Amino acid sequence: MLKKYLNHFKHSLAETSAMLCVSSLIIFLIAMVLFIGFKGGQYFVPQSIYKVVVSFNDGPASDEAFYQASSLSAEALQTQYLERYQGQFLSQPELRPGVSVTPAEQVYQINTRSGPVYFGEFYALSSPEQELHPLTELENLKQAVDLLERSLNEVQGNKLSDLHSRIAALNNSDVAKEAPARQDLMDEFSKWQLQASALKTQIQQFQMRFKEADGSLVSVPLIEIDELFQANQLTQIERIGFTLNKLWQFIADKPKQAATTGGVFPAIFGTVLMVLLMAVVVAPFGIIAAIYLHEYAPDNKITGLIRIGISNMAAVPSIVYGVFGLGFFVYVLGGSLDALFYSNTLPSPTFGTPGLLWASLTMGLLTLPVVIVSAEEGLKRVPEGLRAGSYALGATKYETVLKVVVPMASPGMLTGVILAIARAAGEVAPLILVGAVKFAPNLPIDAEFPFVHLERQFMHLGVFIYDGAFHNQTQTQSASLMFATCMLLLIIVFLLNISAIMFRHRLKTRYERH
Amino acid sequence: MLKLFERDILSVDEISKAQTGIDVRDLCVHLNHKPVLNNINIRIPKNKITALIGQSGCGKTTLLNSFNRMNELNKNHACSGEVWIKDRNIYDRKEKVAKLRTQIGMVFQRPNPFPMSIYENVVFGLKIQGENNRRKLDDSVERALRNAALWEEVKDRLFDSALMLSGGQQQRLMIARALALEPEILLLDEPTSALDPLTTLYIEELINELKKQCTLVIVTHNMQQAARVSDYAAFMHKGELIEFSDSDSLFTMPAKQQTEDYITGRYG
Repeated sequence: MLKKYLNHFKHSLAETSAMLCVSSLIIFLIAMVLFIGFKGGQYFVPQSIYKVVVSFNDGPASDEAFYQASSLSAEALQTQYLERYQGQFLSQPELRPGVSVTPAEQVYQINTRSGPVYFGEFYALSSPEQELHPLTELENLKQAVDLLERSLNEVQGNKLSDLHSRIAALNNSDVAKEAPARQDLMDEFSKWQLQASALKTQIQQFQMRFKEADGSLVSVPLIEIDELFQANQLTQIERIGFTLNKLWQFIADKPKQAATTGGVFPAIFGTVLMVLLMAVVVAPFGIIAAIYLHEYAPDNKITGLIRIGISNMAAVPSIVYGVFGLGFFVYVLGGSLDALFYSNTLPSPTFGTPGLLWASLTMGLLTLPVVIVSAEEGLKRVPEGLRAGSYALGATKYETVLKVVVPMASPGMLTGVILAIARAAGEVAPLILVGAVKFAPNLPIDAEFPFVHLERQFMHLGVFIYDGAFHNQTQTQSASLMFATCMLLLIIVFLLNISAIMFRHRLKTRYERH
Repeated sequence: MLKLFERDILSVDEISKAQTGIDVRDLCVHLNHKPVLNNINIRIPKNKITALIGQSGCGKTTLLNSFNRMNELNKNHACSGEVWIKDRNIYDRKEKVAKLRTQIGMVFQRPNPFPMSIYENVVFGLKIQGENNRRKLDDSVERALRNAALWEEVKDRLFDSALMLSGGQQQRLMIARALALEPEILLLDEPTSALDPLTTLYIEELINELKKQCTLVIVTHNMQQAARVSDYAAFMHKGELIEFSDSDSLFTMPAKQQTEDYITGRYG
């Protein structure tokens, strides 16, 4: 009786624990996706602005007041601040400051081009004539600034750079300093330079003034203002517009302000280009290797050893590949390429430095086992009967492989390549060593001859996230840009994996009829 | 008078060289380092149906496979002896295996259509041979499908996937695929074992028709089928050829005790 009960208990325990494991796994997965999605989504939603007043006990003069943008509710924000401030006065409860958080309806959020974000109530617009314009004049003043900016560009772009190159030409031909031609040029140069700086100061004098939470005035030059909006006053449609705009900016724009806002277009572009290059390298290599191993290699110990080697290649830590890529591709291969073809620019390296090409090759090496294993898996699933049928019709081995086996195994091969792409899109460690950087000034493809610059460094989504996580911890906005990038990466990798699964499923159903 | 009742079946010893389709001499085959066929000597008559019978593992399929050298797909195989087809030894070093297999068609136990259209399946062998003339291909598709008694059923959907056909249709497609190359010999390895009785009957009729065009060798486990369709029958046991004679005598008055035991179902 007892034994029977115990037995029953054992069985149910095994079942329950297995169920628990699986369900906690699924919950964990869903929680992770939701968390990343929520944090990333915040980047696209306009945040409300609150006025936070911290009142200390030594009178109203010592009060601190400031505006704060947050996606939290007023109560939640208040609790957060209370905890932060009261924590400093644990032993003296009577000294604890009070915190009040109120929505600041009239306050503008001003995103500047150079980075800082200001909050403040509108006070006045000012132009060089020192007038106090109302807000309605904003468009007119902006036009005036535009006009000035255009003439500044004209001066800088045409006049100054032209003069500069002429002076440089004189320098090169060793013309004496006191030569009249040179003097003339110098005079003209300084004349235009004066004008340029005059224009600059004039532009800077178009300003917008804000009253901060503590009543002090802040001036922001109009030319500096990137975005200006009253976050709390946005209508539903404006909010949607803001979100869409932010989404578009995210996909299509460069990162701005030390990667705190803007978009991740260069990173998307770099990632895609890198994985495409990698696929071009790794797909034929891996597939041909798999075909050899499965169709041609004799079934002996050496083949077995090669298979074990390939499985082990998949288990090598990725940083090891990174180090190998740096040591072999960059220094040895790149170095000798430079010595052979780019010796005129040495010692500054062309290919002997981390870049797109070497990153693709390194990732190709890293994902080679994935491709070989799945391609071989696909080949294994081609029924022997089909091969025999092909041979019986007078096909040679080569024709059988080419016309029957490979077409049937192609979904498996494609699965391997897609998995490899997903792997490379999410990899970070080796890329940092062989060419991915946190900010690349130029895309690897541009209008400059020879249009595709494989030696350039590039941006990569994974590396961008890594960088965002480590270098901008303090700013909440950049944290959510990081999360948004994370979400994007997650979506890309999910989509790639799902398509791989679908291909595999198609492969299965294709053979089920046999 | 007697001649009226007699089919044109000669006894095995009377088969002349000209009437021989496949002449096997001292054939020994080892697969996976084990002897499978032991010193087989058999003359398979031309334009007749010869059945190979025997219990599983007796080497019937191996013998069949040695007629188009399919045994060589097994990496561990060894063979000695000669197989003469049309005045040449196919195990000669100069023999081109792929070319040989176009002259000797083979149909397998389970239909194995390629995952392509019906049309593509039939022209597969021809295309491998470099035939790309569309009209010639069309013609041979029609001829092969008619010969395999499949034309009427599939003529409107030649470009549908061959996998959509039923098992019996697929097996006839396999026969058509082999016939498209106009082989001299057609090897059938238990072609009806995966089919229902009615479809089996259909295929048997077809096989009977085909002997006008080529020599047929059929491996079967079904005694009735062997008796029904074959003109000659060979009984094999453990890699040895026990008895070979015309089917009438083999199934009614076998010369060897072993053969009688097998066909009466005492073992095997």
